This record gives sequence, structure tokens and C-alpha cells, in this order.
Amino acid sequence: MFEQAISAMASVIVDPYLLGLIFVTTILGVIIGVLPGLGATTGAALLLPFTLTMDPVHAIAVLATIYVSATFAGSITAILINTPGTSAAAATTFDGYPLAQKGEAGRALGIAVIASTVGGIFSVLILCFAAPMLARVAYEFRSPEYFALTVFGLSMLASISAGGAVKNLIGGIFGVWLSTIGAERVTGIERFMFGNYELYEGLHFVPIFIGLFAISELLVQSKTVDKILKTVSMKAVKLPTIEDYKKIWKTILRSCGIGTFIGVLPAEGATVASMIGYSEARRWSKNKEEFGKGSIEGIAGAEAANNAATGGAMVPTMVLGIPGSGTTAIILVGLMVHGLRPGVYLFTEQVEKVYQIFGSMFVANVMFMLMGLYAAKLFARVSLVPTQILWPIVFALSVIGAYAFQGQLLDVWLALIFGVIGFFARRHGFSVAPIAVGLILGEMVETNLQHSLKMFDGQWWMILTQPLALMFLVFAFLGLCGPMIFSWITKQKN
Amino acid sequence: MKKNIYLIPLILSIFCLSVIAVALQLDTSPEMIVGDSMQARSFPIFLMILKLILIGVLTFQFYKNNPKPVLLEKFHTWGSMLLFLLFYLLTVYTDMFIGIFIVIFLMCILWGEKRLWVAFLTATITPGLIFLLFDFVLKIRFPRGILMNLYYG
Repeated sequence: MFEQAISAMASVIVDPYLLGLIFVTTILGVIIGVLPGLGATTGAALLLPFTLTMDPVHAIAVLATIYVSATFAGSITAILINTPGTSAAAATTFDGYPLAQKGEAGRALGIAVIASTVGGIFSVLILCFAAPMLARVAYEFRSPEYFALTVFGLSMLASISAGGAVKNLIGGIFGVWLSTIGAERVTGIERFMFGNYELYEGLHFVPIFIGLFAISELLVQSKTVDKILKTVSMKAVKLPTIEDYKKIWKTILRSCGIGTFIGVLPAEGATVASMIGYSEARRWSKNKEEFGKGSIEGIAGAEAANNAATGGAMVPTMVLGIPGSGTTAIILVGLMVHGLRPGVYLFTEQVEKVYQIFGSMFVANVMFMLMGLYAAKLFARVSLVPTQILWPIVFALSVIGAYAFQGQLLDVWLALIFGVIGFFARRHGFSVAPIAVGLILGEMVETNLQHSLKMFDGQWWMILTQPLALMFLVFAFLGLCGPMIFSWITKQKN
Repeated sequence: MKKNIYLIPLILSIFCLSVIAVALQLDTSPEMIVGDSMQARSFPIFLMILKLILIGVLTFQFYKNNPKPVLLEKFHTWGSMLLFLLFYLLTVYTDMFIGIFIVIFLMCILWGEKRLWVAFLTATITPGLIFLLFDFVLKIRFPRGILMNLYYG
């Protein structure tokens, strides 16, 4: 198994086509990451249709590379123009920009590059070991366990991205409802199709995701057309000194652990990881007063955590079919479209492909480090592309991408409709990521509930007699009600 | 103005009730097919009830916290949505690429591009490159229209 894994991962390095693809995608990912508003999720949604004709490993490698490189690149604009290229880099602005204003932009970027690379590589290594182990545990799962697990995944939506817990859960349930559109899988009864037979097999993820992430972002960005971005000047990226390493190595290691763990949790992602990584860096620091004024520990804490979350988030995505973030939701769709069914099967029957994907992520981490060190200054200029040019191009890519998936104009209209729905949702504080995750998990929840009910002769409470299922349901309950119970107990004590 | 904050829970509630109403009209399967499992309508109804409960919680949060009403966006946003509608009409009645060209051109100008030639170049080069990539590399056939009929024959 170990030898197979090593040889599969090594095969990435000796495949010049794949290496070239990762190289080009890393450049694209960094460009996407530095463009405010685009980000890893939108970038992956836009690129997904381009991967349809590729070999499965190459396609997933492209999406995974976009994920890791765009997550890192968000820090470039966070440091230089105080505008995080991705939401995961929001915490980097707290100290990155103040340090850049002090004339140390190169140092800030150097620390961000190193912390991101260490975080990314650490999480890929964890992914290599944790994913097969989790797959072995998941081998024991039956419908009740999968049902409980997806309920747990949905409960975690409460804390995914921005918006309040209630709003996120409403969005998640809306997403699950969307998955019920089309013919019901057991009985074949048509639901919510209103005579439109193109919807018989249900809503396809690709146009919906393009709408929710790319088109809605376009409408959000239309509000910022008058915004003028100012860059901080920078000579070159500076590698951290020995003194810097002495100061930040503990923070980086801590954030690697935090980020990977947060990433592994279903429906949690890089944004949450970077915030927790940052606050933990502050909590453990001996120089708390430096935070917010240009602390290198703050930059390292946030950046190591957000890139560590990328590998972590791939664990539930590939092993259980439960996406760890909006971007992994798109990667999951990529896996499904290419016939790589996430789950135990993937790790038993197609293990070589799995390790090639992991190997690609490893290589992508090294490549973005090199680009970050030698070309960050150049990439930062890309962020100054005028929005009035950039977003009309995104519009064209979105509509053609939505059409290309199945060659149906209906998909283009769906992308536009869901873009408008996504915009109005965001306008009122609802995040679109829970809708996307809900849409993916919806089928799993319903199918596994149906199977569980059949297993137990319609006695739904028998699900609670299964230890693992009960454990997941307890976690789901604690995830939803834990904060309320905790605050009530604290109030009673006071 | 304060009453506007309840508009969202109201719209969401109407949506949920509509879904329940439609779900109740769905066909039912014979007992021998469904067995001990659930009817096709049950799951969506369950979801909407759950959502109605959450909307209740949301309304209570709004009542307690009194959030700021959302300000109306500038014309750029609404104009972009109108361009989507224009794109639909142009694609259906002329050609998808004519739609993309006109929408990109107008969107550039709407979003503040003052140089007409830049808007024109963006509107011409972008769909051109995308067409070349999808047609020659990815072998995607585009929907027929004025331009595509000329191309495909």
C-alpha cells in the first residue's frame, strides 16, 4: 500500500503533461487569488467546465491546484492593498497590511509564502495518512451511519462562512430542497419539475455552482465599481530571517494542526481556519501588543492555517463525499462528473488515482511557493485590472461554461437565475456556500434515510441504536445547540 | 422602514408554504413500492417545516436585534441584471455569441469604461477566444443561431 502510494505520487513528477498542467494552473490560481472577488471557489466553478474533457486525475489536479494556489494568493493583495483576494486571507490583512505600510511588504509576503507552503504540505501529508485510515473506518458505515454523518455535515453549515447560524441553516435546507427537484429515485415520481423534462434527472451541480459563485459575485462586485485600489510599494519578497523563524515556528506548527483539523470537519473551511489560527497565534504570543500593528506571528498564524485547511478539507470530500468548503464542493462535483465516486470505493479500487491527486497537491504547494517568492510583485499588478473589464469577461466564461457542461441552454438560464438568487441571498446576509453544500448532501440525506427506514421497518428511532450513527447525531446536536447551552450555563453561573 | 426587515422572513415563509402546497399535490406511490420508507412528498414537506421553524427563529432574532435595512444598490447592479435579460432575448432570438458580444460591450460601459474601443475589443476578443477554445479544443457544439448557422452550415 505504502509503496503503491509513493510510486503513484512520484508518477506526478515524471509526467511532463501533468507537471505542465499544474504549473499553468498554479499561475492561473495565483492570478485568480489576487483578483479581489474571484477567489478559489469562483475560480474552480469557472474552470470546472474546462476540465470535462480531461483525464479524471488531470481534471481533479487542476481543481485542487486552483484551490491551494488561490488560497495562498489571497494573501498577496491582503498584504499589498489591504483587500483579501479570498475570504480565507481576511485575517492576513490584520497584520499583513500594517507591516507593509511600515515598508516591510517584502518581509510580510515572505512570511506568508513560507507559512502557506508549510501549512499546505503538512496538510497534504496528513491527507495521505488520514484519508486511507478514515476510509477503512468508513468501510463499516451503512445507511444509518451515512444518514447521521450527512446530518452532522449539514449541522456544521451553521458555522460555515459568513452570515449567522440560522441563515446558514436556512440556506443549507434550501440547497437540500433543490436536490429533491426531478424524479424521485425510488418511486420515479416527478417533483417540482412543472412539466420540464430536462429536469428529470434533477438539477445539475455545475450550472448551479457557476450561478451561485460566479454570477452572484459579479453582481456583488458591481457595487464596488467606484472603488480605487492603492498598492503599497515593494522591492522584492524577502525570505524570513533566522530570528523570524525562531519567532514563528511554533505559531506555524500550531496553525498547521488547527487548520488541518478545522479543514477535516465537514463543511468547515479555510476562512474559519485562518480566523482561529490568527486568534490562537495572538493568544499564545508573548508579544500580544504587536498584533494588529504588523505582527509576523499574526501573518504566519493565519496563512499556515488557511493553507493547512485545504488538505484537511479534502479528507471528508474524498473519503465520505462530504465537502469541507465551497471549493471542495466543486472538487467533489468534479470527482462525480469524472466517474470517481467519493468514498471507500475510491480508496480500494482507484487508490492510484487518489495518490496522484495528493501528489499533484503536493507539487502545487511547491510551485506556488516559487511563484510567491519570485513573482509576487508581478502578480500583485494583476489585481489592478479594471473591474469594468474583468467582470464582463467572467460573465462570458460563466455562460459558456454553464452551456458547455451538457450543451443545454437551460443550464445557462439556470446559472443566471441562481446568480440572481445568490446575489439577493448575499444581499440579505445569507451565504451561498451552505446552499451549494446542501445541494450536494441533499441526495445523500434522503437516500440514506429511505434505506435506513427500510432496514428498520419504518422505525426511524432505531437509527439511534446504532452507536456510530448516534455519535454523529449527538455531534450534530452539540454543534447546533452547544453554543446556546454553553452561554445559558455561563449566564446561570454568573 | 423598520417593517421592511420582516419582508425576507415573509417571502421565505410564502416560498415554504408554496412548496408544501405543491408537494401535497404530488402523486403517491403504492404501498408495495414504498414499503416502510417514505412517500416522495414527505421529505420536501419535512424540509419546509424545518425551514419554517428556522424562519421563526430568524424573525425573533430580527425582532430582538433590529438589523439595519439593506440599502438599494446603484444602477450598475440592477442594470447588470437587465443585461442578463437582454442576453436571454438575444440568445433566443438571434445567437448566443451576438448576445455575449452585446452584453459584454454594454456591461463594460455600464460599469464605467469610458474608452469605447476598449469595450469593443473586450467584447470581440473574449467571445472569440472562448469560441476557439471550446470549438476546436473541447469540441463543444454551440446552439444554433444566426452566426452558428453560418458556421455549421
